[in-house]
Amino acid sequence: MNVISKISALIMLLFSFSSCNAQIQHTKMASVKIYGNCEICEKTIEKAGYVKNVSKVDWNKDSKIATITYNSNKTNQDEILKRIALAGYDSDKFLAPDDVYSKLAGCCQYERINKTAVTTPKVIEDHSMHNQETVVEAKQEVNQLKIIFENYFGLKDALVKSDGKLASTLAKDLLININGVKMDKLATEEHIVWMKVLGSLKSNTNKISTTTSVDKQRIVFMDLSANFYDLFKVSKQETPVYYQNCPMYNDGKGANWLSKENAVKNPYYGSQMLTCGKTIETIQ
Amino acid sequence: MQYILSKKILLIVLFLLVSNTILAQKTVRYDLYVKDTLVNFTGKTKKAIAVNGQIPMPTLVFTEGDTAEIHVHNRLKESTSLHWHGLFLPNKEDGVPNLTQMPIEPNTTHIYRFPIIQNGTHWYHSHSELQEQIGMYGNFVMLKREDDPTFRKGIDDLPAIPIVLSEWTDYKPENVHRMLHNASDWFAIKKNATQSYAEAIQAGHFKTKLKNEWKRMLAMDVSDVYYDKILMNGNPISEITNIDGKQLKAGDKIRLRISNGGASSYFWLTYAGGKITVVANDGNDVEPVEVDRLIIAVSETFDVIISIPAENTAYEFLATTEDRTNSASFYFGNGIKQLKSPQPRLKYFEGMKMMNDMMKMNGDLDDMGMAMTLNQMDMNVVMYPEITGDTKSKQDDKDPNRYNANALADIVTLNYAMLKSPTKTELPKNAPVKELRFELTGNMNRYVWSLDNKVISETDKILIKKGENVRIVLYNGSMMRHPMHLHGHDFRLLNGYDEYAPLKNVVDIMPMETDTLEFNANVEGDWFFHCHILYHMMSGMGRVFTYENQAPNPLIPNPKLAQRKLFADDRKPHFMADNDFATNGNDGMAMLQNTRWSIGTEWRLGYNDMHGYETETHIGRYIGKMQWLMPFIGFDWRYRKMGIDEQEENLFGQVNKKDNRTALSLGFMYTLPMLVNFQAEVYQDGIFRLSLMREDIPITKRMRAGFMVNTDKEFMADLRYILNKNMGIRTHYDSDMGFGVGLTLNY
Repeated sequence: MNVISKISALIMLLFSFSSCNAQIQHTKMASVKIYGNCEICEKTIEKAGYVKNVSKVDWNKDSKIATITYNSNKTNQDEILKRIALAGYDSDKFLAPDDVYSKLAGCCQYERINKTAVTTPKVIEDHSMHNQETVVEAKQEVNQLKIIFENYFGLKDALVKSDGKLASTLAKDLLININGVKMDKLATEEHIVWMKVLGSLKSNTNKISTTTSVDKQRIVFMDLSANFYDLFKVSKQETPVYYQNCPMYNDGKGANWLSKENAVKNPYYGSQMLTCGKTIETIQ
Repeated sequence: MQYILSKKILLIVLFLLVSNTILAQKTVRYDLYVKDTLVNFTGKTKKAIAVNGQIPMPTLVFTEGDTAEIHVHNRLKESTSLHWHGLFLPNKEDGVPNLTQMPIEPNTTHIYRFPIIQNGTHWYHSHSELQEQIGMYGNFVMLKREDDPTFRKGIDDLPAIPIVLSEWTDYKPENVHRMLHNASDWFAIKKNATQSYAEAIQAGHFKTKLKNEWKRMLAMDVSDVYYDKILMNGNPISEITNIDGKQLKAGDKIRLRISNGGASSYFWLTYAGGKITVVANDGNDVEPVEVDRLIIAVSETFDVIISIPAENTAYEFLATTEDRTNSASFYFGNGIKQLKSPQPRLKYFEGMKMMNDMMKMNGDLDDMGMAMTLNQMDMNVVMYPEITGDTKSKQDDKDPNRYNANALADIVTLNYAMLKSPTKTELPKNAPVKELRFELTGNMNRYVWSLDNKVISETDKILIKKGENVRIVLYNGSMMRHPMHLHGHDFRLLNGYDEYAPLKNVVDIMPMETDTLEFNANVEGDWFFHCHILYHMMSGMGRVFTYENQAPNPLIPNPKLAQRKLFADDRKPHFMADNDFATNGNDGMAMLQNTRWSIGTEWRLGYNDMHGYETETHIGRYIGKMQWLMPFIGFDWRYRKMGIDEQEENLFGQVNKKDNRTALSLGFMYTLPMLVNFQAEVYQDGIFRLSLMREDIPITKRMRAGFMVNTDKEFMADLRYILNKNMGIRTHYDSDMGFGVGLTLNY
């Protein structure tokens, strides 16, 4: 038994040694901005940045400045900021994945000023290209609507996932891009339809963006899909778009939506009845 | 990372690159200097192999119609070889040592010379020993000529970035291979995937674990090896802000030519900037198909197109190992880095439950009537939180889509049924057809991998005739997926697109899947057909196709010797040993095993005559597919004075002189359900002994228990805590030697 007591003494000694030693070595410190709102944010940010004996983060919710302390032999600032971004919080180096951001609590939905909205450069360059040939212009016009079409598909996918928060965020993007469409650059037919649907397009999008209830969003999405159907019909598509129908939704009256894939992924029921529905028209 | 770079070599390479452009369309020459090097990926300096001072090996670029001339200068202290993966070439240029050429010996130069008669993304790697694991992989790009009728505007003219994926482990690959053969669970500990009883109880899966062990399975996983780093073009993190001097901007499209040069890892590919458009696979064009993610099998290549959606942003392209323990990132664009969510951790116990349902008591797999093929039904979805949710699955066992990832979630995952060739790929119509069937077989417990339960060294070459169409039906009856690769030919993977079936040279086949592939036998030679997981190949999982009455290969002067050397790979024995230095004596064993044979010695050596000394040696051969049965001959020796637990009569009433005994025996060992080893032996003096033994019961992540009882009324129970790969603390009680505590060292 003598041996055992010796061993246990040795183990005790080792433990006490390591506990005195439990602090970050080769210390480096830095102050960086991390975007966030409240105490919940603070908790999440600091937890994501913490690795025992390697790094710790102290974030101030008023100044949005985080003090990062880390062992420069074991990690670096980028690794810590990446972990924080993967927990949902943007810095000036990394943007959080959209799905992670949208899952943050309501009070944590900070304003993402570092995120650049999805646009194509051709639209931005519009001003300098006024005197270009009409062929080029026609191409740009397709691109103008293309952005909001892509926004629509993103929104649809969010509803397929039954993710109300994400849908609301995406609807906000969509609204910005709708307001950004330059009507005078649209082809004649597109222009006519655009004028016709614009009012309802805006109000429907706005309704979706102001709620995170998927049920409410889905009701509005029926009308929004009708608006988009009209637009898709007059706009030239590079790849086919599928107009699909779920016969059950809306008390059995049915509801439609548009998709880039022929395979049915139902945005009105999500995983409850994911593959319920069929393609009723292929828009080329 | 420091590479030892010789300036001279750099100059030569630069000169060669310049001369290449002048001589374009003709002979394109590369000089490759293979050298030992030191690398530091993890903070520790380790040995690796660099070619022209770099890892990965340099990207070789040709245009269809060129002639390739590649001078390989071996400056290693061991032999080497280079295999041109997926290329159509004369057999003697194929680069398989001891099959298509003799190994390139140290300080010699070998010249590979062959015409480039195809285009697409391919790669090259060493086919010698385990050199591929430590740096010998690189991209091999063959450009399409612009006047090619299949040239695709908007695809073939996009700026392209070649990417070779790989993994790094600080362990020597020979040691990795040995540990795999010895069923070490150290990699599982590193991955936090031990699946012990404590973890099972915590997850509410105690019954699942019990049933799993009842069916004689060890903890399940989707891959075998834990890696320290994942690399894309040799780096865990890379950034591309411009291509050919042009800044990347919103709206730009980029073609990525991706090869999986990993030795044993599959990778999930995902992108933060939206959908990924797949345009080619294994160097062959496919109709563009948009997906959210794809898995790239070991040694496969994919060409994909990604776009940059917004200004001032760099988008993360992520390659994650199939077990999701590690990843590498590539950022495309300028500005703040938009991240992609990492793949969530696997739900291992759901996977275990799935395996339990699939595994029959005799070790065969039961697909329960689902005809599985082409990666469409992925049993692993039960483990994927992004497909089946975060918690326990409550799926309907009758749902025909219960393993169909694309029907279960809104994420589009690529599978082989979505690949369609843009051109007709039919084989010659009137050629005779030869049909071959192979079952992929293996067992994880002993890390034996084979076709039809035979390894390479146990089989003859398979004869085929020039001109005939060879159709191969593969069924995977093992519990792991295997990327099966054919040398020198592309095959059509029959996937429902009839005459537009895609051309490939690697087919990933999941457990219980059946796939059919066919090719026209049009180039004579000895062609390897093998699993491309390096450690499976080295264990003998493959075959050689050879043409009837073909001319001898001038590079193989002595075919008998070459064959013997080729067979040596899977015949190699693996050594393991451990010893417990305990307060009451030494407890240990040493074992040498290969595919079928096992020679092992166990010992219990006390510190005095009262505790005694004994050893038992067994030479046995494993029988059957699952290798649960091992008949053996044994030799025992023991010596003891006045033992503490005097038992000289066994349960059968036979008197067994224990205190001084030397005996020969015949017996067998059989693995019972719950992984309990039952051993029966009879000694030359007619004495019987039966024993039951179980080692390494996973109690917690690092705690293991074991026991032994026999008809000599001896017993032992132990508990071991694993400190690291080679060390543990063990406490045990032994009927001969009493209670002991000690330090266990194992190799």
